[in-house]
Amino acid sequence: MSRAYDAIVIGAGHNGLTTAARLAKAGRRVLVLERRDRVGGLAAAEEFHPGYRRPGVLFDSAMVRPSVVEALGLQSHGLRLRTVPPTVLALGNGEGEGEPLPIHGDEDRAAEAIGRVSRADADAYRTWRELLRRLAPGLRALFGREPIDLVDIESEHVWALGKRALAVRRMGKADLMELLRLPPMAVADVLRERFASPVLQAALALPALLGSFAGPRSPGTMLELLRRECLGGPGVTGGGPMLVEALHRAALAVGVEVRTDARVRRLRLGADGVSGVELADGEAIDGRLVAASCHPGHTLCELLPPGVIEHRFEHRVRTLRSRGSVAIVSLALSRAPRLGPEPVEFARTGACLDDLERAFDPIKYREMTQTPVLDLHVATVADPSLAPEGHAVLCATVLFVPHAREGGWDDASRDALGERVVQLLSRHDAEIGAAVVAKEVLTPVELEAKYGLHGGHPFHLEHALDQLMIRPTPECIRYATPIAGLWLCGSGSHPGGGLSCAPGELAAQAILAAR
Amino acid sequence: MPIPTPFHPRTAALCTSMFWKEWAGYHAVRSYDVSHEREYFALRNGAGVLDVSPLHKYELRGPGAADLLSRITVRDIRKLRVGRVTYLCWCNDDGKILDDGTVSRLDDQHFRLTAAEPTFAWLHRFTGPHDVTIEDSSERLAALAIQGPTSRDALARICDAPLHRLPFFGVTRARLQEVDVWISRTGYTGDLGYEIWVDREHALTVWDAIMAVGLDHRVLPLGLDALDVARIEAGFIMNGVDYWGAHHCLVPSRQSTPYELGLGWTVNLDREPFVGQAALRAERARGPAWATVGLRYDWDEYEALFARFGLPPHVPLAAWRDGVPVYGSDGRQVGRATSGAWSPLLKANLALASVRPEHAALGTRLRIEVTVEYERHQISAIVSKTPFFNPERKRSA
Amino acid sequence: MTQGATKTSSSAPPGAAGSPISGVGQPRDRSYDVIVVGGGHNGLVCAAYLAKAGKKVLVLERRHVLGGAAVSEQVFPGFTFSVCSYVVSLFRPHIIRELGLVDHGFHVIPLDCSFLPLPDGRSLARFGDYARTRREIAQFSPRDAEVYPEFGLAMSKLARFSKHVIDHPPPEPTSLAPRELLQLLRLGRGYQALDRDVRYLNLKLLTMSAADFLDEWFESEVLKGPMSVSGIIGTMLGVRSPGTAYVLLHHYMGEIDGAFRAWGFSKGGTGAVSYAIAAAARGFGVEIVTEATVDHVRITSGRATGVVLESGNEITAKAVVSGCDPHRTYFGLIGEQHLEPELVGQLRRYKLRGSSGKVNLAVDRLPDFTCRPGPGPHLEGDIAIVPNVDYVERAYDEAKYGAFSSRPYLNVVIPSLVDPTVAPPGKHVISCFVQYAPYDLEGGPERWPRQREAFGDTVVDTLAEYCPGLKESILHRQVLTPWDLEHEFGLTEGNIFHGELSLEQLLFQRPMAGWARYRTPIRNMWMCSSGTHPGGGIMGAPGELAAKAMLKAGAA
Repeated sequence: MSRAYDAIVIGAGHNGLTTAARLAKAGRRVLVLERRDRVGGLAAAEEFHPGYRRPGVLFDSAMVRPSVVEALGLQSHGLRLRTVPPTVLALGNGEGEGEPLPIHGDEDRAAEAIGRVSRADADAYRTWRELLRRLAPGLRALFGREPIDLVDIESEHVWALGKRALAVRRMGKADLMELLRLPPMAVADVLRERFASPVLQAALALPALLGSFAGPRSPGTMLELLRRECLGGPGVTGGGPMLVEALHRAALAVGVEVRTDARVRRLRLGADGVSGVELADGEAIDGRLVAASCHPGHTLCELLPPGVIEHRFEHRVRTLRSRGSVAIVSLALSRAPRLGPEPVEFARTGACLDDLERAFDPIKYREMTQTPVLDLHVATVADPSLAPEGHAVLCATVLFVPHAREGGWDDASRDALGERVVQLLSRHDAEIGAAVVAKEVLTPVELEAKYGLHGGHPFHLEHALDQLMIRPTPECIRYATPIAGLWLCGSGSHPGGGLSCAPGELAAQAILAAR
Repeated sequence: MPIPTPFHPRTAALCTSMFWKEWAGYHAVRSYDVSHEREYFALRNGAGVLDVSPLHKYELRGPGAADLLSRITVRDIRKLRVGRVTYLCWCNDDGKILDDGTVSRLDDQHFRLTAAEPTFAWLHRFTGPHDVTIEDSSERLAALAIQGPTSRDALARICDAPLHRLPFFGVTRARLQEVDVWISRTGYTGDLGYEIWVDREHALTVWDAIMAVGLDHRVLPLGLDALDVARIEAGFIMNGVDYWGAHHCLVPSRQSTPYELGLGWTVNLDREPFVGQAALRAERARGPAWATVGLRYDWDEYEALFARFGLPPHVPLAAWRDGVPVYGSDGRQVGRATSGAWSPLLKANLALASVRPEHAALGTRLRIEVTVEYERHQISAIVSKTPFFNPERKRSA
Repeated sequence: MTQGATKTSSSAPPGAAGSPISGVGQPRDRSYDVIVVGGGHNGLVCAAYLAKAGKKVLVLERRHVLGGAAVSEQVFPGFTFSVCSYVVSLFRPHIIRELGLVDHGFHVIPLDCSFLPLPDGRSLARFGDYARTRREIAQFSPRDAEVYPEFGLAMSKLARFSKHVIDHPPPEPTSLAPRELLQLLRLGRGYQALDRDVRYLNLKLLTMSAADFLDEWFESEVLKGPMSVSGIIGTMLGVRSPGTAYVLLHHYMGEIDGAFRAWGFSKGGTGAVSYAIAAAARGFGVEIVTEATVDHVRITSGRATGVVLESGNEITAKAVVSGCDPHRTYFGLIGEQHLEPELVGQLRRYKLRGSSGKVNLAVDRLPDFTCRPGPGPHLEGDIAIVPNVDYVERAYDEAKYGAFSSRPYLNVVIPSLVDPTVAPPGKHVISCFVQYAPYDLEGGPERWPRQREAFGDTVVDTLAEYCPGLKESILHRQVLTPWDLEHEFGLTEGNIFHGELSLEQLLFQRPMAGWARYRTPIRNMWMCSSGTHPGGGIMGAPGELAAKAMLKAGAA
């Protein structure tokens, strides 16, 4: 029998790999166990039709934490950071709203393009970006660092807390007031206060809706938007696949062992906490600690025997909300899509905020909207190798698609969803239907089955106000769980889901600090 | 708006006093006559028949039933043998008591839980990993207690169960006047006694059968007032009187633990996880903050106190449950008596009290508040062994 | 059947002993310590406290009746309607004591029952009787029946903390002044005194939607429906909108107030509460004048020096306090020209968006519900038409896009059943609170008058589905749309709480950050309305806290 590992990490997604690499870099002997046949989790590129690969299911790499890139030397492992955020094309609905509106990553170019639609909005856009820059220190104090335990506030170090408070106070009274006022608001209310162009309002609102079971009129969506806009950077060229490849290489370079096709069946418990894991085939592996990047519900309620965690804690974990609300539809195309005058990597549909709201309405009743909104990613723009030469891969994140659809999902309803997406796209690229070589439709149900996502939610837990403030529950807000040696390091922990690697890194820091 | 129990047609006809109270949403007789004295003496000399249908009852069936009960309650129910009943309590995660009751193992995979409070939701929360079904049988099952020295003889005449072989805290299936019943040797009076569990449509058959032989054995219907005196003599604490379930406490100081209530003997700590285990373990190591004791008033001081006012010593007819402060010898408050009664049998003023553990040793003289003519006074009360009344017949064959 | 929008015939509510009104149109003097603009319940409370402290106070009310939205009117002879606000909730007990309101006719009869008729013939009635309520809920879910009291206990624990919040001026988190820090610290200590579970609950309650919050406790949609709606009353939000969970607490605050129950009918209608306060105020020397419309506040070099009436008369005062909503106060009484553009922008962002209407019926017999025929205690409390959570969310969805709900949520009470003074013997008044009726009707709010009767028909049709004989029993009907609430009662955009009770408009941000302590940027000009902390409902708290803040600041 082999020597016990210092740490076993469950899940080789971007967070699991980050935790593993950070621990190994600090001299720990680390094993990563991945249920699937490949590393990368939600970010890994996958072939969905012979010759065509799609870049995982998370397309936005703006949130990648610079400290992870730096600490693990990801750039020496092939990661290329963008210098400017990519352009996002606001398509409208293709029902005669006019030309698509490019929102460039470069602020001046963006303002110029917006100015062609509305002079006032060009200024408003500059003011908006300026405000976001000023609010950024506040958001960073809350979401760029380890969490503040609001439930057990006395347990916080007064000095550390005071320093953060000072960072926030330095913002000036007016900004501070905005920082207090904006987060609980609805994106629709805030964007309507500031912008006149409906297409622009809709395009700016969309990122706030991907992670939560919410429409633009839902209060609290502003927090999600602020997090995305204040903490985000230009992102990674090639997105998720490039990120996890670099992470994988970096992890291997510091001595992390990675085993795929290794499903953990349960956690083993010794006299003083976790002693290792047992795999599906019965193999037992010893580890001094286990860091799980899976959904907290899976880790705490399914991998542990019943009764080990307190009932109250279990109830809280079980009532965490993970209602998947997006589907991923990937199209293999025989040519590049023609969404705008120039080839574009990212685009969004939706002509106004109410389009988004109306797309959201039916999901509340477990129904599928007839007018979904699409967040589009033409993956082959950044990485042409994903498709045969001249061909393209277009991925659509479809809002809003219920996990618990009334009547369930079957082949017919899945196909209908795929067809609907092609139909909607043909409003912007009339001939696109003829270019479709193959389609892959992943509803929340498939996302759940394929990636082990509870409820099919790509961020593990919805990014709702309450689940961002206390994530996942007060018992394990600081990555440690009440079971000695068991840690959480996935998207279900602070500061949340998406390609940030932040939970993975902060968990590793907490683990190292605990020793 | 209470509703009638299955025995209501009979109890209502007999309740000439019209003294009723609400018990768990049902009409329950406090005393059939204006005074419960006759019923009390029937209980201690013959037998009393008490309608306990308002008790909450749950049937747990399935291979996971024992595991579920072991996880929820403080006892390792997997060790309970078929045909036996056990008294126990259950707690929340903080080791604070929610309720107390009994579990009967009716067969290998069928258990019956009785509780003072609705417990269905609480049970349900833990069913997840266990292969078990839970039936709330509270409405379906009528329950009748027959308690007292002649209860066995009376019952033996109308049912086919070999009652003399039914041990204390045993349970058996039986036929009673062509009706299938369960009979358990349990009760809340600290006396020889049985409880009969029967489908509600046969409730009156059981009642009538008992009453038909009752005259020969001095069997009278019993109300809750007489029961209250008997349960204090027996030293039984009561939910909602001597303690409060944690689900009902607005402030933590109102909550109690099994150790504080003298129910530590029911707790099997070292086993698979159960609700409240960690907290109870810590409490056992630390020692409980309170102790539940029996108190006997010093009769001479009591009599002397009343004599100062020219009054004979007051002998309360009914048990009281208002709570009075209890002081140490130095005059500082060390706890509270939560209920008490004059025992007509023991000729003593008794109380159940919750006091700081350093004042809980048997024989400790404490001071208890007594109000005479609207004036508050203190007299001695001695920490005494409970049950105050513990007849041999309760357990004997 | 006669129909009436807002016109009334007589004013004094039955049961009010003598009129507390000192005059009509014109005050006696030309100079006062304080002028209170608006004779709503908060204005009257504020006036009473100021006069009790020895100030010479004048209250000016635009209408012919006192009470603002807490008003009783005989819209049709013999029938007294609590025209707008229809139940008394959370009226601060210490105000009752300190102003001696009981001696002036304050008399609240508690509501014991919440009744929910269902379209399928079933129904749910929740009473104070624990076991009975358990049996009622158990029809739908035995589990929920038992969780229900547990939920109540958890809420009650939290309500202790909230009570502290509503009984004190709002904290000011951006200030570093020692006094402010001290107050924050006190609040923090109150928070620390809660146990961990309760704190977690508090954070959830502040941030979650009512529906999500209830989902963590209950499984039955039938139970969750009527429970969730308390989170959206008066708000242009749905039960699935985050932030709506908080108001669920209000139902449990009454228990914390001790002997006072959370919800009740005021004898003689809610106007009687206003009349009791007015009578108390007069007792302290307040002069109350009705039918005196203030045109604007006289502002001289940044200071309020008095008011100018519509009649042109000017009355001077050392301080002016407005009981109107923030829009009316700032844009109407003060005037934009006296305000910084930044502040004007802030004010324009303040969300009012009324979302509810009111239908008052005079009927010749008691409504008879198919699911629970005949009279009984279930009719003596509030009756909710909201068969499940989705029902009310769909009602919201329609309103979002500018239509009134085709099947709205109704909160119905029959005050004449417990208070026979408000209707002739055998006849009854039925008050229906209706949500959603969005102020911003598609095509503009000015379309409301033409939609008024269609709206009224929708409400009656909705209710009649549960009590078929209703339509035939209606003698008179009064329909109030958000447009009417704005034009008749001065509630901007018809918002009954003077501004949405959403998280970013509460505490130190009500109505605006920096001006949440009852002050305004105009010196000597104050606010005391529901548009200030702690917000709307017949609580009296803003009026009291404003008066105390003024006295502390030495105003007037």
